[in-house]
Amino acid sequence: MNANETETLTAAESGARDAVRDLAVPVADPAFRARLREQFVTDRFVPASSRVVRLPWHRRPMTSWTLAAAAAVIAVVSALALNQGPAWQVVSGHGAGIASVDGRSVSLGHTGDLVRRIHAGAHVTLPTDSDLELRAGGSLLMQIAPGSELVIPTVPGRWFMRRSLGELRSGEVRITTGPEFHGSRLALATPEARVLVTGTTLAVICDSTGTCVCVLDGAVRVGATGDSMPKVEAGMRAFVYADGRPMVQAGMRPEEIPELRRMRDSRTGSPHAPGH
Amino acid sequence: MDPESDAAHYSASLVSVQKEEPLGVSGADRARARNAVPPLSVAELERVRNREPEALAALFDRHFDLVFGLAMRLMGDRTLAEDVAQDVFLKVHRAANRIDPSRDPAPWFTAITYNACRDVWRSGAWRMSRRSRPVDEDPGFGVPLTRGTNDPEDDALASERARLVQDAIRRLPEALRTPVVLHDYQGLGHPEIAKLLGVNPAAARKRYSRALTALATILEKTLGEAGR
Repeated sequence: MNANETETLTAAESGARDAVRDLAVPVADPAFRARLREQFVTDRFVPASSRVVRLPWHRRPMTSWTLAAAAAVIAVVSALALNQGPAWQVVSGHGAGIASVDGRSVSLGHTGDLVRRIHAGAHVTLPTDSDLELRAGGSLLMQIAPGSELVIPTVPGRWFMRRSLGELRSGEVRITTGPEFHGSRLALATPEARVLVTGTTLAVICDSTGTCVCVLDGAVRVGATGDSMPKVEAGMRAFVYADGRPMVQAGMRPEEIPELRRMRDSRTGSPHAPGH
Repeated sequence: MDPESDAAHYSASLVSVQKEEPLGVSGADRARARNAVPPLSVAELERVRNREPEALAALFDRHFDLVFGLAMRLMGDRTLAEDVAQDVFLKVHRAANRIDPSRDPAPWFTAITYNACRDVWRSGAWRMSRRSRPVDEDPGFGVPLTRGTNDPEDDALASERARLVQDAIRRLPEALRTPVVLHDYQGLGHPEIAKLLGVNPAAARKRYSRALTALATILEKTLGEAGR
């Protein structure tokens, strides 16, 4: 810095410059100095600490990237694991027939086998003299009527992936949603219809003529496959014909009401092994 | 950077810069005088090339303070400065047979020291250590225990002031810390600093100016607080 530049400095800058210039030469540890001198003179250097020894260039980024990738994988796996909703549990079962779960015959009287095989996505066919009630934590309660064939719905995730999918191929299921279902969606497919549930109590009945959806409370969207899905209000039922006629809505069948009410009121009950 | 090319690059420039930048400021003179190293004779440097122990010892004794002092001021940490010093003398030892006896090795030492510090700054370990340790809790700023005043109170005040100044330097980003340390502590001119940093002299001068402004701001605060 020449004299002209010196003149442009502020007092603070000038003071800072002088403060640095006034710094004394730091005094090294005499033992360190003597040791390094000995090493230098005799060429017996000991490797410096790891803070100065640098890894080869191709290893450092690899290490960083590997750690970052591993951390990301762990984070994703942990998030997916923690996000999983509650598993389906068997609340009750009536009848002693043989059900089919994922193509395997399971005796409804054989509690352990049934509990072990029931899971989200399982393909279940009940005999005509047996029913089953399942619960997924505080999220979903589902009754499966005798003779029904269905794919057990997935359970919504706790924080994300909150869409649940299931399929009723024939028979009847009654579904009521619990407080943990809030904000989730259950899409239930039948051969001719789609039912979208966002928080309600309903029955879905599927036979050869079509699909009937009875809504006890809340609201459900129902429509033929590939068609629009109008809302079906509480106390109403919608019928989607298998032969392609337009969907019709009417008042709910009286015989469904007590069954749905009973199920809605019992959804706080605890799960247990199937009875006879 | 190769130690030999460092030597060729900076040795001549130091002489030319000293000629074109007469330092009329007493502080600058002090800085330069403090770091002035009486050069070894050509005969001694020839013996260094042959790695004769006595010549190596003389080379070490002449340049150790320069290396360690610069490393301390740039790194702000005694342990890191020791690591840098060890790294520098290892490199010098490996390149001793290529020393040009006709040139003063001091600029070469300065360049190697700066490059070793820069290598540490670029390392992941440095970034990690900087995150994990508060900058104002390292007592190792290496002011002498006495400044020869025989006044303990003056010595304590001077020591505390030096600690705050060093702390302020360490708070500067490396890009600003380097020019201010090299210019005002080490006594180098802007053209030498520019060559060391790989920038043009105008850029080096500008960087120094910014560094001084930033340092003044920090010092105004810290010295002001210390004075209250």
